[in-house]
Amino acid sequence: MNENLSRRLAFLGVLIIALFAALVTRAWYLQVLVAEEFSDQAVRNHVEIIVTQPTRGRILDRHGVVLADNIRTGIVAVDRSRYAPGQIDYVLEQLSQLLDIPALVLASRLDDKQTHPLAEKVVASGLDEYGLLRVAEKSLPGVEAKWAMSRTYPQHEIGAHVVGYVGAMSPGQQERLLKVGYLPSERVGKSGIEQIFEDDLHGKPGRTELEVDGTGRVHRVISEVPAEPGADIFVSIDADLQAATESYLRQGLIAARKTVSEDSGFFYPSIGGAAVVMDLRNGDVLAMASHPTFDPNWLVGGLTTAEYQSVFENPYAPGALNNRAIQGQYSPGSVFKLITALAGLEARLISPRAAYYDIGYFKIPDKYGCTGRCTFYNADKAPLGVVDLSSAITRSSDAYFYKVAHDLYWIRGEEQWAIQDMARLLGFASQSGVQLPFEKSGRIGDEDLKRRLFEANPEAYNPYGESSQWLPGDNINTGIGQGFVSATPVQLANAYATFANGGTLFSPNIVERVVSRSAEQFGESVIEFNPRIQRIVEFPEGSGVVREGLHGVASKSRRGTAWRAFDGYDSSGYAVAGKTGTAQAEGRNPVLQRKKEDSAVFIAWAPQHDPRYVVAVVMEEAGFGGEAAAPVARRIFEALRAYEQRWPDPQVAFIPPQPECPEIPEALRGHKAFIGYVPEGCPWGIEVPRANTPEDVDGDGIPDVEERD
Amino acid sequence: MNLPLRKELRSPLRYADYSLGLVAVVLSAIGVALNYSSTWRILEFNGQDPATFAKRQVLFVVIGIVVMLAAAFLDYRLYRDFANSAYLVVMLALVGVLFFGVERNGARAWYELPGQTFQIQPAEFAKVAVIVALAAFVANQGGHLRLVTLSNAYLMLAVPLGLIYLQPDLGTMLVFVAIGMGVLLVAGAQLKHIFVTSLIGVVVVVAMFNSDNLGGPALLRQTQEQRLTAFLDPGFDLLGASYNINQSQIAIGAGGLRGQGWLQGTQTNLNLVPEQETDFIFTALGEEFGFVGVSLLLLLYAYMLARIWFIARASNDLFGAFACVGALSMLTFQIFQNIGMTMGIMPITGIPLPFLSHGGSSTVVAFGLIGLVINVSARRHLT
Repeated sequence: MNENLSRRLAFLGVLIIALFAALVTRAWYLQVLVAEEFSDQAVRNHVEIIVTQPTRGRILDRHGVVLADNIRTGIVAVDRSRYAPGQIDYVLEQLSQLLDIPALVLASRLDDKQTHPLAEKVVASGLDEYGLLRVAEKSLPGVEAKWAMSRTYPQHEIGAHVVGYVGAMSPGQQERLLKVGYLPSERVGKSGIEQIFEDDLHGKPGRTELEVDGTGRVHRVISEVPAEPGADIFVSIDADLQAATESYLRQGLIAARKTVSEDSGFFYPSIGGAAVVMDLRNGDVLAMASHPTFDPNWLVGGLTTAEYQSVFENPYAPGALNNRAIQGQYSPGSVFKLITALAGLEARLISPRAAYYDIGYFKIPDKYGCTGRCTFYNADKAPLGVVDLSSAITRSSDAYFYKVAHDLYWIRGEEQWAIQDMARLLGFASQSGVQLPFEKSGRIGDEDLKRRLFEANPEAYNPYGESSQWLPGDNINTGIGQGFVSATPVQLANAYATFANGGTLFSPNIVERVVSRSAEQFGESVIEFNPRIQRIVEFPEGSGVVREGLHGVASKSRRGTAWRAFDGYDSSGYAVAGKTGTAQAEGRNPVLQRKKEDSAVFIAWAPQHDPRYVVAVVMEEAGFGGEAAAPVARRIFEALRAYEQRWPDPQVAFIPPQPECPEIPEALRGHKAFIGYVPEGCPWGIEVPRANTPEDVDGDGIPDVEERD
Repeated sequence: MNLPLRKELRSPLRYADYSLGLVAVVLSAIGVALNYSSTWRILEFNGQDPATFAKRQVLFVVIGIVVMLAAAFLDYRLYRDFANSAYLVVMLALVGVLFFGVERNGARAWYELPGQTFQIQPAEFAKVAVIVALAAFVANQGGHLRLVTLSNAYLMLAVPLGLIYLQPDLGTMLVFVAIGMGVLLVAGAQLKHIFVTSLIGVVVVVAMFNSDNLGGPALLRQTQEQRLTAFLDPGFDLLGASYNINQSQIAIGAGGLRGQGWLQGTQTNLNLVPEQETDFIFTALGEEFGFVGVSLLLLLYAYMLARIWFIARASNDLFGAFACVGALSMLTFQIFQNIGMTMGIMPITGIPLPFLSHGGSSTVVAFGLIGLVINVSARRHLT
């Protein structure tokens, strides 16, 4: 064996050792250093996970009328990744002929940026089986015609703002929802109950894990969790009453468009409004209407930008998607006088029966050294003559309340803010807590608020560089619900409900209960919303007179501001008590380019002496509360009276306020010196007629107050 | 020559390296076990006997052992006389397979035996024929290869390379290149010759890749080109060519240190690694026996190669030494290329892993080569 050979062999040997070293190193790297990553991948490789979409829960009214349901619908979905850029046109052309939808529309649905990039693009829905067959038999590549579950709203626009609608998830939601098992193509609640109860409605997706081999054949089922259908939501709305309320509100708005404004000489634009009906004994919302409205079915399939604009950016029906009942913040106008009256009584500044001479305006007395605006006129500058608290409310004397608000301003100390405090007690400037999204809280003016607004946006709030101090004029304006006061219709209804029921402020319930449909708990209520009491408000002595004033609003003999609207109204056992309001709206109407007309407001409860229901109607730019809004409320009350017969007795959560009675020596009890110090209802207090126990001195069964009408 | 007479009278087989045969049998036993584990689940699913492949492999191993014993028994120096005729016969078989062979996976490389259950791959037998013929040819040159001789040797390689290219079977071609390089290097080819020819080889390969771009016909099939590209860029086309690389690396990586246990690997069981009982058999070992199993296998192979290396060195004639080097080159290349491919450090080519991969021709040929090496070891003391 020569040396050369063995040297070459040695070289070969070294080469082999090097190659083996490379193999061992690589195996070490794969199997020890990064092994974990691979074992994860191995699991993902042989386990196929099938996620089944749960059936979305339904939304039903208090009697079980279905407001939101699911139906099987034929859809056409296109997978555009199957086509080279620009090559999709052929398919769209074919589909356009089959579906009778313009190719341009199909293309824009395909370009929809709203849906998740991974989701199939649904270009048509609502097909029947023949429609599906027509598409399927063409066998267009990447086009799928199939059945799918779709949300449907059988009552269409009835309760649309309450029920809400579903739509494709927004990019922000995608990240969160896909993690908890949503499919990219799934629709989620975008507003109303659909949004706020999304988690309950959605249910739990099912999940099946299959062991599959390299060719996709299934070897065994590893685990199987069936989908759990979403829970049904029962709302406190009564669908019939809701339909009636919406219809009356719309008719009222249309009627207002036929009346001419005395201020401007134009027809009232009367563009929108809201109406709320509540059971004031437990805070249930029975109807909540907002106009302009929409049919949520339009939104289920997803609208193209053009479709969306044509429906929801129509300047003549602005903000159709907004629920004005909880999102519209309106100046309450004269309906706020209830709060001013109560504040005046609370501050012991009003003697309920004292006469005041309404001369058509109120002038700040010279001794106060008025700066700026000093004379405040009644709405029509008409003097009402002698009024007391009761008739000042019934006839809506501005001058009377200008004076109350003015006098309150000059009480230095705690009670200077009596109006603001009373307003906050009755739920102003804070969300009512109704179970709906995007609720606004409104505001109540005081020093802080004024300064904040002036500083935040001087151009809008303080164009003339006025003082940001709280002036008497500010308080005077606030006293009649103008200026720095705004409230949502729900807040207004709730404040009046609180006064009517004797002082229980509820958080309105629009959802009654959530009923599970899962296998284990089928039909059980998983959440029940019992009446939620926010606080018990004690009304000052003399509030009976305020009540008396409100009772007169529909009375012709007492010259109530809404008597014309209630002329001929059958008030037997269903007489109304309430207040009209005509609020100046700030700013200009953006479409008509002229100053905004007044908003019409009317809030009332019925029956007068056994208060059960409160109705609040607000109509934007529709004129006088007594002329535009009161007739709508009247028709709602008439509907209520009819529908009420069919309803079972509601769960009454009205708790009569339990007064705190001070300790008074027995001998001194009943002495008139204690008037105003001992609350109504105390056993040793002065016998003041209880507001909701009608005075019936002559014992004829008809309350005396009504007899006077 | 004092003792030779006595030695010649004794059977040379007492000097034979039996451990080599033992290692080969152990390896093929592991092979049978892995054949079973990578096919049983799917066979069972299809309602077939889960041991179908394992039984076939046992049959091949038995035939292989018989061939090994036969190859070890007859004095290997007799092979030298038959080298050229054997080469000729195999080359004819390679020509014939192009006309009478059956096509599988796009290559016409197999003769089908009656009954359609067994196929014979003449290229496998060509490896032995080329090793023997090449060893015999260069042994005549006495340790120095002039350029003319080298060219003749290249010609001997070029014929099977060309025939296999027509099948086509890129992997097997590379095995022939490895055999040629190993034998010629050890046989005394000058480094500058090898360097220059390697350069030419590289140019030819690159030209083959780009022949269609250069205006000529496409010389490589698209799948082959894709597989090689996928090796260079594993992210490329996950479900296409890189699928094999990814799946086999996942299987090996998922084995971890100790493995999932025999018959427990999901990648292996569920057929997620393609061609697992043949070219990708190593992944079954990697997944089910982990790094421990892999190391043991490599140790067995290392022992086998080391023994061949020592036998080559100890051989007292050049023909025996070069034949051992040919076997060594072939086995080394196939082991490194096959395992390297499954672990993603070598391109994907269809080369079986000796003793482990399912397949009659390759198993029988591997045993035959070991028989040849044992033969050399047994007669190292003879002159």
